This record gives sequence, C-alpha cells and structure tokens, in this order.
Amino acid sequence: MNWDWEKLQGQRRRQGYQPPEPGEIHDRLKRFSNLRFPGGGKLIILLLVVLWGLSGFYIVQPDERGVEKRFGKFTQITDPGPHIHWPFPIESVHKPKVSEIKRVEVGFRSVARNGTLQPGQYRLVPEESLMLTGDENIVDVQFIVQYQISDPVDYLFNVAEQENTVKYVAQATMREVVGNSVIDSALTTGKFVIQTQTRDLMQEVLDRYQAGVRVIAVQLQDVHPPKEVVDAFKDVASAREDKSRLINEAEAYRNDILPKARGQVAVIVNEAQAYKESQVLDARGGAEKFLAVLTEYRKAKDVTRQRMYLETMERIFSSSGLEKIILSSQTAGNVVPYLPLDKAAPRPKQDAAGGAGGKQ
Amino acid sequence: MRTKLIIPAVIGFLALIALVQSMFMVDQTERAIVLELGKPVGDKPLEPGLHFKLPFVQNVVFFDSRILNYDAEPAEILTRDKKNMVVDNYTKWRITDPLLFYRTVRSIPRAQARLDDIIYSEIRVALGNYTLIEIVSGKRGQITQEVTTKSNALVSEYGIEVMDVRIKRTDLPAENARAIFGRMRAERERQAKQYRSEGQEESSKITALADRERTILQADARRQASVLRGEGEAEAIRLWADALGRDPEFYAFQRSLEAYEKSLKENSRLVLTPDSPFFKYLR
Repeated sequence: MNWDWEKLQGQRRRQGYQPPEPGEIHDRLKRFSNLRFPGGGKLIILLLVVLWGLSGFYIVQPDERGVEKRFGKFTQITDPGPHIHWPFPIESVHKPKVSEIKRVEVGFRSVARNGTLQPGQYRLVPEESLMLTGDENIVDVQFIVQYQISDPVDYLFNVAEQENTVKYVAQATMREVVGNSVIDSALTTGKFVIQTQTRDLMQEVLDRYQAGVRVIAVQLQDVHPPKEVVDAFKDVASAREDKSRLINEAEAYRNDILPKARGQVAVIVNEAQAYKESQVLDARGGAEKFLAVLTEYRKAKDVTRQRMYLETMERIFSSSGLEKIILSSQTAGNVVPYLPLDKAAPRPKQDAAGGAGGKQ
Repeated sequence: MRTKLIIPAVIGFLALIALVQSMFMVDQTERAIVLELGKPVGDKPLEPGLHFKLPFVQNVVFFDSRILNYDAEPAEILTRDKKNMVVDNYTKWRITDPLLFYRTVRSIPRAQARLDDIIYSEIRVALGNYTLIEIVSGKRGQITQEVTTKSNALVSEYGIEVMDVRIKRTDLPAENARAIFGRMRAERERQAKQYRSEGQEESSKITALADRERTILQADARRQASVLRGEGEAEAIRLWADALGRDPEFYAFQRSLEAYEKSLKENSRLVLTPDSPFFKYLR
C-alpha cells in the first residue's frame, strides 16, 4: 500500500463514505480465494454483487438536492426523490440542504442546553461586537446573518470552509458599514440602512467568491454603547427628560399667573367703571336737586331767601357747643382782641365743655 | 490442483494491484499533477474525473482547487497619525498553477507562511499611509484593494492568486480604547449639560415672558381705570357746572348757608354785634 491508496481513502472519507475496513477487504479476498467451495461460494458472490449494486440507490429529501459525481467529477444535480447512481467507487453523491436557512451569530452566541438553543440566553463575544464608527466612537453591535445555499455546485466545490467564509465576510462588511456611519445614527435611526447595506455588500463579496450562497437577511440584534460609557449615554436621555420637565414647569407657572392677572385686571377696571358711574350719578342727582330747588326759589325769591337764612341761623345758634358773645358795636371797637391760647390748644372735651359753661 | 490454482490467483492479485495503482480519481474540488520519478508529466494539471498512470513509476499530487481561507493572527500596526491599531484580516486565495505551486512552495501550509510574510508587510505599509479615521471609514475598500493588488504581484511566482484581502476587525489597543471611551463620555456629558441648560433657558424665557405679560396686563388695567375715573369726574363737573350756571348767586347763597351750618359747631366761639341782620328784631 503506498500513499496513493491512502489518498483515495482520505478522499472517500471526505465524501462521507464509510470506507471498507481493512479486515473486510481481507474477508472479501479470502472469500474470493475460497472459490473451491462451489455452489455456496457462487451464492455469496452473487449476494455481494447485488449489495454492491444497491449501494448506488439513494433518496434526496425535499429540502435537499443531490449532486452526483462520476470518478470525482461533477455530472448532474438531482431533485428530491429516489435515484440511482453507479455504485462505489464509480459514482458518488452529496446531498446539501438547499432550503435550510443557516444562521451565523456575530458578537454573541446562543447558549445551547440539552442540545437545543435556548432563546434569550446568550453569551457575549465583545471582541467581535465592538466596532469603531466613522466619528471615532465605539459601538457594541450584535447581529445575525441568515443565508441559504443558492447554488449547490458552487457551494460544494468553489470555496473551502464555507461557514467560516460567511462569518468572516459578515464581520468584515459589518465593520466597513458601521465604519461609514456615525454613532448617533447607528444607535437610533440608521439601523435599517446598516442592515440593508451590510446584506448587499456581503452578497457582492460572496458572489465574487462564487460561494453559491444567498444572504437572506442581516439583522441587528442589539446596538448599544459599550458598557464603559453606557451611563453617560443614559444620562443624556434623562437630561433630555429634564429639559422637557423644566419647560413644562415653566408653562405651568405661566398658566398659573396669567389667568390670575387677568382676574385682577377685571377687578381694577370694574372698580374704576363703578367709580365713574357713581360720580356721574351723584353729580346728576346733585344737579337735579339744585335745579328743582332753584325753580321754586325763583317763584318767591325774597321770602325763601329770608326763610332759609333764618332757619339755618337758628340751627347754628341752637347748637349747645357753640359759645356766643354779643358786644355792642362801640365796645367791639374798643375791645383789645384777646385770643385764649389755652383754648386754641387741643384739650379734652370735658374741660372745654366745663370752661364754656362757666363763661355762660 | 492446489498449485494450479495458486498461480492464477497470484497473477490475478498482482494484476489487481497494478490496476489499482494505475487508476486514480481527481475530485471536483481538486486538480492533480502526475510525476514520473519526480519529473512532472504533461504541462497541464489534470481536471476532475478518472485518470490513468503507469503504476509504480508515476505518482500523483493533488491540489485543492477551491478558494482557500487564510486567517492571519491579529497584528498591531501604526497609522499615519501615530495611532496603534490591532488589525485582524483574512485572505482568500487559491492555487492557479499547480505545477508552479508544486515547484516553488509544494504545500498549503508553506504557501500560507509565504502569504503571511507578504500580506503582513503589505498591510503594514498600506495602513501606515492612512490615518486611523481613514482606515475605519471611507478608505477601507481602497486600502484592501491596494493590498490585494500588491500582494498578487508578489505571489504570482508561487502559482497562487490572492483574490481578496479583507480587514475583519480593526480594534484599538486597550489604552487607546480607554481614551476613546473617555472622550465619548465627555461628549455625552456635554450633551447632557446642554440639554439641561437648554431646558433652563426655555424655562426662564417662558417664565419671564409670563411675568412681563402679567405686569403689562396690570399696568393696562390701571390705565383703563384712570381713564374711567377721569371720565366720571369730567362728566360730574360738567353736570354740576351746567346746573349751577343757571343761578350762581343762589348757589353761592345756599352753599354758604350749608357751609356755615357744618363748620360752626361745637367748641366754636362766635363774637357778634347787635348790628347783625339776625338781630334786626332784637334791638
């Protein structure tokens, strides 16, 4: 056995064939040399030939395509259903799953438990997810790529390490796209654009490799500031809230004082209006009273005048608090005017009354 | 009888070995060259399919014909603006001329070692011509294109082709990342402060405007009040003057009497002479 045989073995192993064990070969050879048992030996050989022929029978599942090779060279693609190819080692078949949607996670790994992926449970991979943006900031981006085999022949034969290739291309293109965005748009409104740009760019690169892969979607799972600065980013959000709170408070103040002020205005204006009306009405009343009296006065001028004078003087002189002194004109002319200064000063009423009474 | 059977069996066995030795398959993912005692046979590599060779004197070497992946170790480089950067790149390459490849490098690991030498230095040179920000955004495609082209010129003598050099990751060393985090934090703090100050600004504006409006409202109310009071007083004056103007003498007489009555009351002392008209009949 030289290396050529080993090479063939290795090739078979890669094609998914279970190579015959060395022992089995020996058995076959032994059976071959055991030809001297006629009848039984021929039956065994016939059985082996039938089994060998049957090894060319295969079934392509609905989600698969069969890719047949004859002596290693690609010959044809077969659709789902039963098929026969020439038995080993003439022909062989690969059955890639073409309708399966494969998934690559970048920046995180879903945690598998009991062999199944647990939704919502994942482990972060920061060295994959931290990316520089175009304005020299860093964002933490976690995303998934969904892809499908679009061309089974290209997929199988053109590129080595197909899954790694998709992953590397995803990483490289996402970084390129994020590198062309600024942090604020990456964190907020620019996500959709980043997704589509990355998908298109990935497809372009994979097509150049003729990888036989169709990128269905690039989906950002989580884009956030790195944990080192996340507090500062959150504070910006609360500062924005503070801003609107301050504005609301000021508006509340305005809504409080202006109606009150308008109420005060109404009070002041109405008071003035009332004053105006009352002034006019008082004056009109006084004037009308005067005119009424005047009308009658004109009818008997002298008598009325006399009567009014005397009645008024009577009321004045009959007042008990008024001190009256009567002097003749001559005496009055000789009297030295004497001003009682003690009385000019304000004094308690009692004394004044007493003093006045004494003089009477 | 036994010996009669042994001889054909041995001959058959040897024939089988010779047949196995002379047949070989080239897979769809491979190309092969046949060597006759070390010397290549034919000038073209063999395509996928079944092929024959002379047993024992010829042997076959297989080469992968697919696009191969070479993932280099992350390397720290210095940008034109003297910033450190950790660059992790991968290279897509393939064997284009198996014969030349076999002559020069022979195996894939050795080819990768050559690629590593070439691409590592090409990337270093290329990235050294750009600033960090150019590498991160905008110029990335141009840089990798440049590296691909230059590397290609250098690897063609090994019978290989560099299809694509792509930067998978560009990271900053920890201390530079810290500096960027510091700057990002400062930037956000500035924004937060700005929002809060803007809030205060707006708040002060609204409050001041409201205060101003209130003051104006009140002043205008006082103005209206004065006008109204003045109007009232003016009307009153006009009414009085109209009425009293009919007989000013009578008004003076009547008003004087009223005034005497009001003003001469308690604690007044009146010095009278009998000449007063009041005493006309007392004499």
